[in-house]
Amino acid sequence: MSTYYAGLFADIGILFLGAMSVYIILATGQLSLGNAGFMGIGAYLASYLTVEWHWPLTAALIVAALAAALIGVIVGFPALRLKGIYLAIATLGFGEMVRSFLLNFDRMGGSGGFHGMKHVSLETIWLWAGGIFVLIVLLERSRLWLEMRAVHDDEIAANLVGLNTTATKVGAFGFGAAVAAVSGGLFAHHYVYIEPANFGFERSIDFVLAVILGGSTVGPGALIGAGLLVLLPEWLRVLADWRLAAFGVLLVLVLLTRRQGILDKPLLNRLTFRGMRA
Amino acid sequence: MLLQQLVNGLTLGAVYTLVALSFSLVMGILSVLNIAIGELFMLGGYLGFAVIARELPLPLAMAVAMIGACAVSVVIQKIAYEPLRDAPLITPMLSTLGFSIILQNIVTNVWGSDPLQLPSEMFDADFMVGPVRIGVMQIVVIGVTVALVGAVAYLVQRTPAGRALRAIAENRDVARLLGVSVSKTTFLAFAISGLLAGAAGVLISLHYAAITPYIGVDIGLKAIAVMVIGGATRVWGALLAGPLIGIAEVLTIAYGGSQIRDLVVYGLMILILLLRPQGLLGGARSDVGQRV
Amino acid sequence: MLEMRKLMIGGLMTAALMSGMQVAQAQNTINIGAIVPSSGPFAEWGRANTVTLKMLEKQVNDAGGINGAKLNIVILDDAAKPAQAANNMRKLAGDDKVLAVAGPLTSSACEVTFPVANEMKTVSTSQASSKPGVAKANRPWAFRNTIDEGILAKTSVPYFKKTFSAQSVAIIYDAKDAVSTSIATKIMPQVFTNAGIKVLNADSPISFNTGDLDVSAQITKLKGMNPDGIVIGADYSQAITVLREMKRQGLNKPVIGGTPLISPAILKAAPEIPVVAPATFYATMDTPKAKKFVADVQPLMRATSGLPKDIEPSMYDANIYETVSMYIDAVKKTGVTGKADGLEADRTKIRDYMANLKGYDGFSGPIHFGEDGDAIKNFFIVQGQNGAWQTKVTGCSAAAGGAC
Repeated sequence: MSTYYAGLFADIGILFLGAMSVYIILATGQLSLGNAGFMGIGAYLASYLTVEWHWPLTAALIVAALAAALIGVIVGFPALRLKGIYLAIATLGFGEMVRSFLLNFDRMGGSGGFHGMKHVSLETIWLWAGGIFVLIVLLERSRLWLEMRAVHDDEIAANLVGLNTTATKVGAFGFGAAVAAVSGGLFAHHYVYIEPANFGFERSIDFVLAVILGGSTVGPGALIGAGLLVLLPEWLRVLADWRLAAFGVLLVLVLLTRRQGILDKPLLNRLTFRGMRA
Repeated sequence: MLLQQLVNGLTLGAVYTLVALSFSLVMGILSVLNIAIGELFMLGGYLGFAVIARELPLPLAMAVAMIGACAVSVVIQKIAYEPLRDAPLITPMLSTLGFSIILQNIVTNVWGSDPLQLPSEMFDADFMVGPVRIGVMQIVVIGVTVALVGAVAYLVQRTPAGRALRAIAENRDVARLLGVSVSKTTFLAFAISGLLAGAAGVLISLHYAAITPYIGVDIGLKAIAVMVIGGATRVWGALLAGPLIGIAEVLTIAYGGSQIRDLVVYGLMILILLLRPQGLLGGARSDVGQRV
Repeated sequence: MLEMRKLMIGGLMTAALMSGMQVAQAQNTINIGAIVPSSGPFAEWGRANTVTLKMLEKQVNDAGGINGAKLNIVILDDAAKPAQAANNMRKLAGDDKVLAVAGPLTSSACEVTFPVANEMKTVSTSQASSKPGVAKANRPWAFRNTIDEGILAKTSVPYFKKTFSAQSVAIIYDAKDAVSTSIATKIMPQVFTNAGIKVLNADSPISFNTGDLDVSAQITKLKGMNPDGIVIGADYSQAITVLREMKRQGLNKPVIGGTPLISPAILKAAPEIPVVAPATFYATMDTPKAKKFVADVQPLMRATSGLPKDIEPSMYDANIYETVSMYIDAVKKTGVTGKADGLEADRTKIRDYMANLKGYDGFSGPIHFGEDGDAIKNFFIVQGQNGAWQTKVTGCSAAAGGAC
């Protein structure tokens, strides 16, 4: 593999993690437009630990993920009061507040950014992405996932049959935040430089876009979406000045032709053994 | 100084009001966040500039900008919203995002990425009221904003079309059963939303006299906050929340906190969302939050 | 013994040089890469850079190429996004096998691209980045054909003090932008204080954010401090918004800032307000070399779709033109073969050429690079007023001072 594609695959891995963080929260019917905030928290915390305290990356990522999970839970509780697009807007506000905070956080460079991380290998990025993906696949086969989908489909009914919707929703926020933080930590150690602008609204939207484009009903959708979002702008280079406009056109076209995302259950079944056996 | 800052805050607030109202027409009625509104605003600014640069009068610039933005808004409705009407709310939101990318890049390719500036000082006239300097354009911006909010309020509250809009906002299925044409009303919501964004764009670009293809992004995010604070389902909410946020921003800057301005604005928004999710002027809580 | 070694090295070098020339003649292309932001918020800069490089490529090839080989400049767009710039670097160095890379433009892009340049062992020279220390943190492969803002301020501030008899200044800056923040909150307050001028808001400089349309509250606050001059930390595009508002509120005080202020567009914002900033090139510069460059490239830029009809070449066009010209000179003088199996050696030769450069003839005079990878060259403190830039002071960015 050329180093160019190695770089792109690192981007895909990082975006895949970010997309999974949205996917988990979305599974309970909550849309987060602020996951770049959790990513930023993870990136800054993990970098601080490896650079200032000389921690190994794995330990730093785990601590960053746990810290972000805690913040995710703290954000998740008030979020219970909000639904639908209002929740999305509140998380958008949270993301902007994190970015604005990092901009003023002179201890780690403020707008000047933060340096000193050691470059992480492509394998490490994909080990984390793959590990968390397996975790999600296992989760999808568990009873817990059924509860999450129940909360997604009809929260009132889920409550009536005795499911703990509060724990499910807040837990999803915590898990999602942790995954976003891992994405951030790996981003910081892949690019070996971070600045607040890396973790703005555009990044949060990219995560959501990857999930929706790829298919929000199945886990591997996030992977397809992340791949497309990274590779399309590269493949459209022949269009020169019009490449980003063309990207916008393709985005609309895909959403119009496959509103459920490129990958859905029927397609996934056809592509896997389950389909072949049937 | 404080009075001067209040004038600044009111002008900025008027900008937010118009864009927020543009968001809330689509959001309050259809529960869809049309992300491309920031770009409709930007497009309105460029169209207005193009007219003014040919030394044509301001009302004509307003008309061209409003009609232009309205036309694009309707295109967005037909392509990005209508086919996805029954999809989860995220999907039409992301297809409007596609349009915002397209619009930014078209404008960059047509007018360039450098700030477009008005050649003359045609809109720089001002007068003094005691120690306070007030620009003629500031009066125009605030005046037109109040007039447009009034016109939209009249339309929504006193006309048959407005009743249809409110009925759809309340419950789309029931409205349809009662004989309201959903597609016509949706069209109307997008059209008015576009007119407002275009008007805001031209006013603001003439007042600040320099625009780039990327001005829609930040104003758009702030306007979403203003919409939420005022209450997305109430027309007058934006007129209250716009100046409120404008003045909050200006005072934060005036008293030494320019770095934490955005923290204050979004913090205020989250606080309002938690304490009064329906917004300052919003009605019952029941109309808040369809499923994503 | 020492003599022997010298002789041997000399001999080897001559042999390499000769074989290099022969191979270059048989071979046909010398590949150079460039990373420019042709889409996104700096599209105009990137597109103007592209026109400049295409012109240079044609000039060189029309004149018979480099040692008989054809010059091929591979230009990639990074959309002003750091991640894309870093991947562009991987593509240019890894897939396109270029000998050296010109770009990227923004400091944020340089921060993530320069580490890749080191990893790939390929020279990368920015045409615009002036955030302090970015090349220094990524030696030995990172260079910047620009001058650290901290050095420039030491000349621009005394000129400002003398010309406008300023006793006090107040600061406004773009808090989202790293270069602007370091100019306004670190460099300028110190240099002004050392020059005996009071910085009225050194403790709490007034900020706004990239993309803000309204800076009225900030300007009202500045006006309340009643300074003799205003320090603007912002790129020209944001500075235009600030200048417009200053004019509207009647705060007609002289302005000083860093190189990001230099642009023809800023001259139109408030022609009556004098703007003082450092530059190494501007389109109306009065030297034969600059005049020829402008005469050649300006019509091409104006004929390009996607660029305004009244565009002028910017400092960054001049810088990228110089950079690639240096690479070409390196190929000619150090026996770079351009052959696939000698790629690593060729890249090292170009790096050594850049590091040991002496008196390269640039637009502002002789250029060489310091230990920190930044250019040491002449600069001008220019004053923009009534629609034109004028050189007021000439200096050299060498740390010790004196001529370049």
